[in-house]
Amino acid sequence: MPTLQRDWWALPTLQSTNVTLTYVLMRNLTRNPLRTGLTAVAFALPMGIFVLALSLVVVLTEAAAKNEKQLRLAVRNKMALTGYLPDGVRRKIEELDPQRQRLRAVCAMRWFGGRVPDTQDTLTSLACDVDTFPVVYSDFELSPEEGARWQSERRAAVVGDGVARTHGWHVGQRVELKSTIPPYLRLEFMIVKIIANSSPPNMFYFRRDYLRDSLEADGATGAGCNLIWVKCTSAANLRALQQEIDALFANSPSETKSEDENAFISGFVQAIGDIPGLARSMALVVVFIIALVAGNSMMMSFRERTSELAVFKALGFPPRRVFGLVLAESLLLALLGSLLGIVPTATGLALIPRQMLISASFSPPRFSALAVVGALTIGIVVGLLAGVWPAYQALRLRTTDALRRVA
Amino acid sequence: MSAADIELVEVHKHYRKGRIDIPALDGLSLTINAGALVAIMGPSGSGKSTLLHLVGGLDSPTSGAVRVGEAQLARMSERELTAWRSRHVGFIFQMYHLVPVLTAAQNIELPLLLFHMPASERRRRVDTALEVVGLTDRRDHRPSQLSGGQEQRVAIARAIVTDPDVLLADEPTGDLDAKTSEEILNLLSLLHADFGKTIVMVTHDPRAAAYGQRVLHLDKGVLDRDEVNPRVAQAVRV
Ligand SMILES: Nc1ncnc2c1ncn2[C@@H]1O[C@H](COP(=O)(O)OP(=O)(O)OP(=O)(O)O)[C@@H](O)[C@H]1O
Ligand SMILES: [Mg+2]
Repeated sequence: MPTLQRDWWALPTLQSTNVTLTYVLMRNLTRNPLRTGLTAVAFALPMGIFVLALSLVVVLTEAAAKNEKQLRLAVRNKMALTGYLPDGVRRKIEELDPQRQRLRAVCAMRWFGGRVPDTQDTLTSLACDVDTFPVVYSDFELSPEEGARWQSERRAAVVGDGVARTHGWHVGQRVELKSTIPPYLRLEFMIVKIIANSSPPNMFYFRRDYLRDSLEADGATGAGCNLIWVKCTSAANLRALQQEIDALFANSPSETKSEDENAFISGFVQAIGDIPGLARSMALVVVFIIALVAGNSMMMSFRERTSELAVFKALGFPPRRVFGLVLAESLLLALLGSLLGIVPTATGLALIPRQMLISASFSPPRFSALAVVGALTIGIVVGLLAGVWPAYQALRLRTTDALRRVA
Repeated sequence: MSAADIELVEVHKHYRKGRIDIPALDGLSLTINAGALVAIMGPSGSGKSTLLHLVGGLDSPTSGAVRVGEAQLARMSERELTAWRSRHVGFIFQMYHLVPVLTAAQNIELPLLLFHMPASERRRRVDTALEVVGLTDRRDHRPSQLSGGQEQRVAIARAIVTDPDVLLADEPTGDLDAKTSEEILNLLSLLHADFGKTIVMVTHDPRAAAYGQRVLHLDKGVLDRDEVNPRVAQAVRV
């Protein structure tokens, strides 16, 4: 017969901390390892994709921000992207600001539609005015030697890192492109510069005088351009010039449409497919799916435990602590799953050199702390949302009914 | 050696199911002395569990007064009832209701987590409770590794570890065979005799009811018969 000392049975004050349930929480997670594992994976996979998609959006957003800083205005034929503008347009634009107060330089370009021979790889190839190209694209940072070679070498080409990597091109190499536009010229070029972080990665700039001469030698006309870039001195000047240029050519045979670089690119990109929009809606769908999957599995796992939660309440655990217990479990599982997806993806993005992934057609996402924080936040929110309903059920649970039901 | 008396005055408990009003308890009045071991019998649906839940502060009556020791339960808020329960009541259920992921010792420790108490103190109490129910050698077993009788003994240890004034048992032997039932009933008798607990036990089994000093018969929410069990009433010794 055990003897009890009655005096130490006296109970101290009720405590209000929540840490004591941590153990129960941890044990609950390991109660059904298969289900915990599957739920975590259900979180991990979409979260990994989510980080990728978000990183991609971040890269594109950064590129857009970078473009904005360049203060470039794109002037094109109002009727069609591929329509021509007379060569005189450049001069008329320059005459709007002879003192070069509001615009720095104007560079006209012409589509070449070049394709690497014997491949399906069509590059974004543009023939540019030789004199102003280095000014308008000062962000390419041509060194004095590179600039000199661009000026002296008629076949000079400045190419994106993606296309360079795909075809193993290097500076000083002779390469050939075949035009997909009549008269289907086949031209030889000499690479003078590879652009780091080119966006898109398959850019191919070369000299317009070279194209004009080659076209005329072939009996075709070399006059006309498709696109005129105006490098401005300020955002306000850019907006003003945009109005003035379009007004200048209004009611002329070659009406223009001017827009800033990002508007031009997004218009251009939308013609192919809205990638940032796609990435965003993909991310939304993904979040929705994990919320459903996780929520459902939380509900199932708590429904099985109704009487157990009721016991906690019967023993005198305040409802809010039972609420907390359920919510914390959901949150912990969500966090676990999210990290399982986010950490390897982010590590991969951070460690695998971008150069290994880049290609002519694909601009790979870069590691982005913003994407990681964003994904983690979404994971936490989804975990909370998935747990709130079962936790609320636990809070409202009528102890008497729950205990009767099983008995 | 804490124990409390119990007094119910004109207690009504009605459940509403849609339009239908179910009177689970219909003006029930009764008194149970401190330190008594009382059995409650009655047909299914007669309100036995309802009575136990009201006495244990798990639910509030529709009308009437419920007093346990000093506490006027009908006047207390849900929050007050919750705090009161943790200190003054121990529940024992037919289905034991142990937390499956916790060991016997951890299950018993659970109610102590509500109190400011060093781990060593909790351990001391858990050890004592384990000793009382005779399961010291099973302290690290999970419920799934225990027999039904052992599980119920863990549940009893969990119910007494806070030294409550009242123990409320709803068909504690309903799921056990005759021999194990007897062990459990002996244990309850011991808690009653040695520690002076007030014990209210609902049962369908006349042999279990025979352990009570008093047997209350409920029918349709009212007291039908109130028997004193002379044999047991005298044998308050172990
Ligand atoms: N939440 C509820 N809603 C509606 N009716 C209820 C509810 N809980 C209990 N009842 C009804 O109250 C009455 C008494 O129920 P109680 O559980 O107290 O009976 P009992 O005597 O314990 O029965 P048993 O021996 O089957 O356990 C029953 O008619 C039951 O259907
Ligand atoms: Mg019952």
